[in-house]
Amino acid sequence: MSRSRRHRSRQSLARPRRLAAPPLRFFLPLTLLATLLALMVLRGMANNEVFHDERIAVSVDKGTVPTSVLEGGPVVDARGDKNSKPVSYTIPDKTVVLSFDDGPSPQWTPKILKVLKEKNVHADFFVTGSMVTRNPALIRRIVADGHEIGVHTFTHPDLALHSGSRLTWELGETQLALAGVAGIHSALFRPPYSSTTDALDDWSWPVTQQAGSEGYLTAFINKDTDDWKRPGVDSIVKAAMPDLPGQGEMVLLHDAGGNRSQTLAALPVIIDKLRAQGYTFRTTGEAIGSGSANTKVSGYSLWLGTAFLWCTTFSVRLMPWLIGVLAVVGALVMARFALMLVLSTIHVRRVRKKGFSWGAPVTEPVTVVVPAYNEQECITNTLLSLARSDHPIEVIVVDDGSSDDTAAIVEELGLPMVRLIRQRNSGKPAALNTGVAAASHALIVMMDGDTVFEPATVRELVQPFADPRVGAVAGNAKVGNRDTLIGAWQHLEYVMGFNLDRRMYDVLDCMPTIPGAIGAFRRTALQEAGGMSDDTLAEDTDVTMALHRAGWKVVYAEDARAWTEAPVSMKQLWSQRYRWSYGTMQAMWKHRHALLERGPAGHFGRVGLPFVALFMVVTPLLAPAFDIGMVYGVVFVDAYKTLAAWFAVMALQAVCAWWSFHLDREKAWHLITLPAQQVVYRVLMYMVLLQSAITAMTGGRLRWQKLKRTGEVGLEVATGEMTS
Amino acid sequence: MSTSERAAHGVQDPSETLALRILVPSVFTEQRDTEPEEAPAPARRPGRDRYLDLLRALALVRVVIYHNFSWTWLPIVFPSMGVMFALAGSLMARSLNRPALNVIRGRLRRLLPPMWLFGAVVVPLMILQGWGPHYNHHPHWWWAEMAFWVLPLSEPPFGASLHTFGGHLPASWAEQISVPLWYLRAYLWYVLLSPLLLKAMRKLPWVTLLVPLALAFFINSGLVDQSGRLMEAATDFTTFGSCWLLGMAHQEGLLRKIPQYIVPSVAPLILMFGMWWLLRSPVDNPRIGHDLEAIPVAQAIWSFGAVLLLLHLSPSWEQWPKPLERFNGVISLLNSRAVTVYLWHSFALVLTEPLIDPLWSNTFFYDHAQWLLSSQWTPLLLAAPLICTAIILFGWIEDVAAKRRPRLFPYPRRPKGRRRSRE
Repeated sequence: MSRSRRHRSRQSLARPRRLAAPPLRFFLPLTLLATLLALMVLRGMANNEVFHDERIAVSVDKGTVPTSVLEGGPVVDARGDKNSKPVSYTIPDKTVVLSFDDGPSPQWTPKILKVLKEKNVHADFFVTGSMVTRNPALIRRIVADGHEIGVHTFTHPDLALHSGSRLTWELGETQLALAGVAGIHSALFRPPYSSTTDALDDWSWPVTQQAGSEGYLTAFINKDTDDWKRPGVDSIVKAAMPDLPGQGEMVLLHDAGGNRSQTLAALPVIIDKLRAQGYTFRTTGEAIGSGSANTKVSGYSLWLGTAFLWCTTFSVRLMPWLIGVLAVVGALVMARFALMLVLSTIHVRRVRKKGFSWGAPVTEPVTVVVPAYNEQECITNTLLSLARSDHPIEVIVVDDGSSDDTAAIVEELGLPMVRLIRQRNSGKPAALNTGVAAASHALIVMMDGDTVFEPATVRELVQPFADPRVGAVAGNAKVGNRDTLIGAWQHLEYVMGFNLDRRMYDVLDCMPTIPGAIGAFRRTALQEAGGMSDDTLAEDTDVTMALHRAGWKVVYAEDARAWTEAPVSMKQLWSQRYRWSYGTMQAMWKHRHALLERGPAGHFGRVGLPFVALFMVVTPLLAPAFDIGMVYGVVFVDAYKTLAAWFAVMALQAVCAWWSFHLDREKAWHLITLPAQQVVYRVLMYMVLLQSAITAMTGGRLRWQKLKRTGEVGLEVATGEMTS
Repeated sequence: MSTSERAAHGVQDPSETLALRILVPSVFTEQRDTEPEEAPAPARRPGRDRYLDLLRALALVRVVIYHNFSWTWLPIVFPSMGVMFALAGSLMARSLNRPALNVIRGRLRRLLPPMWLFGAVVVPLMILQGWGPHYNHHPHWWWAEMAFWVLPLSEPPFGASLHTFGGHLPASWAEQISVPLWYLRAYLWYVLLSPLLLKAMRKLPWVTLLVPLALAFFINSGLVDQSGRLMEAATDFTTFGSCWLLGMAHQEGLLRKIPQYIVPSVAPLILMFGMWWLLRSPVDNPRIGHDLEAIPVAQAIWSFGAVLLLLHLSPSWEQWPKPLERFNGVISLLNSRAVTVYLWHSFALVLTEPLIDPLWSNTFFYDHAQWLLSSQWTPLLLAAPLICTAIILFGWIEDVAAKRRPRLFPYPRRPKGRRRSRE
């Protein structure tokens, strides 16, 4: 992926310059990511994955719980004025309230509803919001059958372990779901993991108090059947019977959360036995005489609830597809890592084998073309480094209408092998063509005006031309200013790009780009490919693809190193990447017909192009979904597992990065910045690509931007102190 | 390592790379020693670094807000205490090119008078409300501990539960007011040990930087009995010791000697480690959740990471950036009255309670503005003018302690016509 290139020519005058960057360049990408996160959270809520918490508070002192509540009935009213002096209601004698918690479940709730209907009994269902959103039809049926709905929170946490705002949120979201599903609001609440009132303690009592201040009656129980432990039908029935004959009671059963066959079997027995003792069955509202706890909602609340339900349903349906796509991309990325490791090893084995050569040593002189537009800071270093070349060269500097002293500096240097050609500003491709036209030799090296070569670079770069099938050679561009954060990131990126990607492409015979910073061409091959064109913003990718279609081999020369200065600010990096990705899209579009062609062109079209499309366009566009997934996982689900998975992927990337550093004989210190680089780069490339895609679709044209350059790279290189 | 590393350190490069930040003149103290002819050069006093001023002001504001709301996420967003100690450490290292004893004397002269003034108000109030030699039935101890109100080698004593001015204050009012005092004790110890710390820092910079963190792990590991005045001081010393040393390292230019990409790459990992430590620690009150201020090791790691990042950014502003210019007044005020604001803010917060309570019996407020009376923002809004009052009443002592002309309210006046010219 790494290329080192500088476009410094301005847009030609023939084409009107248009501001290509969409005005809201951060807005759309970030909105997409935020929407994705919101949808994931909605789905996670419905599946009770988000905020899932199975911890249970261990009871502590009960000094703050009023004695009247501890010893009172199961329904506690702490609403309004009663907040500080709560009132307890007992279930009247010979009355029983059956309550079912945790539902509704599609498997058991319908069967329980059927039994209740047959026995003509109304009961209470304390439902969780996540179950409500997943089983809307059941809620409607419960309401239609005349039962009462109570709120059992959205995600079923032990509220004693959570903040007041969490309680408010749990209740509010559940009401939203109820409003959306059945158009009702419930004023009845039962805290998860609660039981009888005498079990209240200093941690759980504030929950009831707060629920009261938010307008809820809290319904505890008298009789816990422990049916969720599946103790046997007899045991459940026994537990549901009153302690004292005729005493009113609130019985706890469950209609969800596991196999409820015992509950289902016990239910008719309980009803029959209690009826035989003269009990009547009521809902909580009826039993304490307050009327139904469920009221109809209308207007804004109803509309909001419907919208909530609709979004949740949408997200639940969408997510499997999205996860599927991500899984495919994830698998592809892993496969690519594996492929890169294998193929780069094959490449290294091949070119570093003892006695390996491309053929007879290439000693013929070479023309070096240096296109220069406003390069006064760097051109001296560039030319001085060329002067130290150990291969016979001729240098042609094409001054592309610089407005600074570039040309004067070149003349002043007065190096014997350097020729200066001035032309009116007409863009980098035209400057390169001018240089090629003036070249005296058959082998042509192209480099940037801000790049510095080692003495051996040119010689190493042209050796592959000993093989007559080789039409072009890509060199190894290295970042010089790797000390800053952004420089270090690009250093990592370049080392990986040149040592893994390019070796892989070399072995697969489908190198997509020869870097503008260092590349060598056979003049005949260039002519066959039609020279450099300004059809795209990435003329180097364009010409490389054209060479492939003309049947030439393009190879990678690892020892031909060029030192280049990477962008030093995020803004410059952004505009550079924007040009690259947009130019690559243009080049791919231009050469799309290769897909159907025969011979080497077809090979490139069917291997190279899909590769580039998949890993330079599709993957970066989807990659931030992984980071969103991480945020989702860390914040809402399970931080440790998510982080473990994230670091596992990071470790894999670190292995690849370390391998590439090893291949390039670089010290691996910079790997420390890999985690930060991965996160920032993923988001950057995503935004850049999305912006490029929008530009491509709206047909915009990119402005050329010249990088601000510091002349930092190469001082030592030029004075021969270079080490690497 | 590579071509550019030397280039990046090269002071000769007149360009605009990030690496050029090393040109801060004060950084190269030891270089100055080796080049004697350059030493007498800095005759003009370099202007204030506005970035550090901003950090100090933010830290102060954050402390006040945190003590009002007790939001547990605030210390995570901005670890004030670590930042304050780092800034103080940086200043201390700068001063220490003068004889150490003089520097320590100067620091004490500036620290103690404001605290004495605070004590002169608070101690009589406490005695008035039932505190005294017989409060804990150990009169000799009481008198002995009173020495800490003179030199806070340990936290100055206070009455944890006192009379309430006739029911106007909670019984723990003295404890609430004395919340900031631990900072003075910690600061004093850092100042006293700074010459040693600086020597160690120059000899073994990275080891020295990490020793307080290692000690914090050890002290809080459960192997050591943490009770008692000495261990309290030791715990705080180790918690923020690395921040103080980071400030010194910043002043010494240590952070600029390593490649620039290291700190922003490593600091997030440190922060993650601190967060992990916080989340795995047991919680006192589950309804409030994890509180960084209650877990020294997490506090030490988190503050270290955050300060590392903040000092790495350190853009050395001689002038305010445009968007911050408008806050110049507040920030300058907070900086020149930092000790006063810090000492008296909890006093102001405690005083808001008797001011708000009577309003509950006012029928208008009771009927129409209960939200206002029960809001947590109301005390904060009331505390602001009270803190300003404290600045006017007690702030002058900072000037006196610094041997400056005392000013009542050092809010810098805008130069005439400034606002117009900006538009």
